[in-house]
Amino acid sequence: MTWLRLVRAEIRKLTTTRLPLGFLAVLTLIAGVDAAVVVFGTDMDGSKTFISTAADQQSLMAFAFNAMLGTGLFGAIAVAREYGHHTVVPTFLTSPRRMRAGLAQLAAVLLGGALLGLVGQALIIAGVALALPSTEYGFLVAAGGVAQILAASTLAGAVGAVLGAGLGAVIRNLGGAVTAVVLALFMIPPLVVQLSSDAASWIPPALAAVVSGVSTDLSTWAALTALLAWAVVPAAAGLLLVERRDVV
Amino acid sequence: MLPLEIEHVTKRYGHEVVVDDLSFTVAPGRVTGFLGPNGAGKSTTMKVLLDLASADSGRATLGGTRYRDLTDPARTVGVVLEPNAFHPGRSGRNHLRILADGSGIPAARIGALLEMVELSHAADRHVGGYSLGMRQRLGIAAALLGDPPVLVLDEPGNGLDPQGIRWLRDLLRARAASGGTIFVSSHLLAEVEHLADEVVVISQGRLVATGALAALQQAGTSVRTTQPARLTELLQHAGATVRTGPDGELVIRGLGTADIGDRACAAGIALHELTPRAGSLEELFLDWTSKDHTRPGSDKTAEVVEPERQAVPQ
Repeated sequence: MTWLRLVRAEIRKLTTTRLPLGFLAVLTLIAGVDAAVVVFGTDMDGSKTFISTAADQQSLMAFAFNAMLGTGLFGAIAVAREYGHHTVVPTFLTSPRRMRAGLAQLAAVLLGGALLGLVGQALIIAGVALALPSTEYGFLVAAGGVAQILAASTLAGAVGAVLGAGLGAVIRNLGGAVTAVVLALFMIPPLVVQLSSDAASWIPPALAAVVSGVSTDLSTWAALTALLAWAVVPAAAGLLLVERRDVV
Repeated sequence: MLPLEIEHVTKRYGHEVVVDDLSFTVAPGRVTGFLGPNGAGKSTTMKVLLDLASADSGRATLGGTRYRDLTDPARTVGVVLEPNAFHPGRSGRNHLRILADGSGIPAARIGALLEMVELSHAADRHVGGYSLGMRQRLGIAAALLGDPPVLVLDEPGNGLDPQGIRWLRDLLRARAASGGTIFVSSHLLAEVEHLADEVVVISQGRLVATGALAALQQAGTSVRTTQPARLTELLQHAGATVRTGPDGELVIRGLGTADIGDRACAAGIALHELTPRAGSLEELFLDWTSKDHTRPGSDKTAEVVEPERQAVPQ
């Protein structure tokens, strides 16, 4: 009961500032850009073959990696701003067992990230579906494919948010945490692949593509496990440091 | 009835000793002022008490229990610690709702508290638009949310207008009168003089004075002699604080009147005056927190002793 109360407080924290609205606005913008690509975009030869098959359309709409990156920023901001605004002080006074407070924060951020991933993917599907009638192609993705990319983006959104929250708890500085998320998800993985091509299947964009059903580099279970590891490692580091460090 | 007990607490940040073997008790039913110059270690001591910072040695408890082991912290201790511990884009009411959610306190109490701290009119505005005084009132409302018997307040009067300070003083005195434990740090000495029953004074992380304020204010001695330099050296060596008063007399704290007389007599120093002397809190504070008084290795702590009511070394 006590822990659920803390989760409720953390959810209220997330919903009583403009942070989620800002992210929703960005998601809407991305959906609009995707719709514009469908309406105005062409291949090199001027055709629209990039939306000519169900697989092409599913690949175009798959939002999981972008969801992970976006919610990574969401999680990092949600946690790091607690230290910036010192609101972590009343948090730890309410719940001096910091591990419990940290887990509640992770749970709330996970739910928020999952919701943002789901809503973002739904907006993109809706945008593409609305844009396709302006072309010669209809909406070709089967219900199973739609369900898969919705589930993948929801999961990736949750994973990204927990990853960002973990980095936010480790770094405790808003700018630093945001930079760390961009480095961890966007900048460092390609560099690692340059050093070792074997790593290519295990970086977030590749894993997101597998769970979205647009790549078969790995088994779905392997990709799911690896995605969870991307969240669990920074989250565990964050919880450990939250427990040990002074609040200054 | 929960006393606060600080027992031999030492806290270092890197190589810097911020709190140095600090021990004192804050009794229930009294308002205890916590004084010290900037950087003396007051906030760190409070953070150790509230388990926001870990002590390198010693322990800090509330009624024998560490803060982190309290079963219901919000209903046990109310805290004002950081003057700006609010998200600027969140309303005052939502700030309190979050705390109420986390503590399992009915939301119905929030309206009454906002009314009490006279913030109802601004409750739904973003805290970023609040004045310092309004933020302070919101912090006090948060501290009172669980109606706790213990209040730990770091500079709660900062930014409050005279009416607000009066209101806060009345509130704290009323809660102490009903058995509450009130521990208040402040740099507003005149305000502490009005408010506190007891004081704990620290400087450079060490305890320099503790006791009933009224008694401490009486705990000085005025001395006139033809050999002030010799007497000063003698008494400082015995652990007293000695300074020269406005009329050339020596003002001595940390030794009883009889003790001063006996030591002067034994040293063959003639005294022309030896009288108890009251002092303002400001005067006492400056005496207690002078660098000489708190130099490393000094073991001088003023403490009220009866019946002579003199400040004597521990």
